[in-house]
Amino acid sequence: MSRDTWQEQLRRGSLDLAILLTVSAGPKYGLSIIQHLEAFTDLVVTEGTIYPILGRLTRDGLLAAEWVEGEAPHARKYYRLTRQGVKRLADMSDEWRGFTRKIERLMAAVEKERT
Amino acid sequence: MILSEAGESRIRGYLYVLQQSLAGALPREVAQDAVREIESHVRDRVAATSAADERGALEAILAELGTPLRVAQAYSAERTLDEALVTGRVVPVLRATWHAAVTSIAGFFAALGLLVGYVAGLAFIAIAVLKPIFPHNVGVWRDGPFGMPTSLGAKFPAPGEPSGGYWVMLVGLALGLAALVFTHRGAKRFLAWVRQRKAP
Repeated sequence: MSRDTWQEQLRRGSLDLAILLTVSAGPKYGLSIIQHLEAFTDLVVTEGTIYPILGRLTRDGLLAAEWVEGEAPHARKYYRLTRQGVKRLADMSDEWRGFTRKIERLMAAVEKERT
Repeated sequence: MILSEAGESRIRGYLYVLQQSLAGALPREVAQDAVREIESHVRDRVAATSAADERGALEAILAELGTPLRVAQAYSAERTLDEALVTGRVVPVLRATWHAAVTSIAGFFAALGLLVGYVAGLAFIAIAVLKPIFPHNVGVWRDGPFGMPTSLGAKFPAPGEPSGGYWVMLVGLALGLAALVFTHRGAKRFLAWVRQRKAP
């Protein structure tokens, strides 16, 4: 597997978690989610491909979506976490922390063996 | 930034192509909602831009968003795969397989194999259905009266009397259903594999 492929898989695998985390702070519309992701990560490669993921997370019941009029000259679609989404986010966060902890431990052990 | 008529026209053109690209892949109301959301994104981006070069700024915004085809493909992949894997129904599975076939080489060859499986299943079932209608034309065909069986199927006009009798119906039905069930399971496994590899 090339480095690029590995990085791409890592990016894909963490995007759902990153989106759920972003929305967990409060309701956000598409562009504000993208801007938040862009501010803290480099997970967004093509902005337009984030919207289908938001749609899937909504269909899966993890997010709820609602069009809001009057806030801007045009309507904005806001997303918020559902109860199911809160639970899934907690599970995913635990798994992510556990996973990175194990990899860190492995890297430290290998480093120690080398020295 | 307030757009000129040319700028508005550019946005309308982008959204039109997006809508056309989504039309075959998504239900109408879902496609309309998607286009509305993308338009909202573009309007937000335009409103936040203070660049003097309207054309350059607009092209940069649309480039960041992705081409209409790229965005439509992302929607289509998410939607068709989800529907196929969650429901397991024939039409969504076929639609998702078709989508995979036209967007990747692996998908093309997998779809070709699945097509052979589905067609074989339908052909066996057709034999079972046609046997009582054309009893002298459908059955097992042999190389001579006591020769080895050479084919199973229908021949018009019949070169002789087929063997196998009405057992052919049972055999055709069993083989056809087995082929369809196994091919469908294979299709769902293939789509699950695509789902894991799919780019967001």
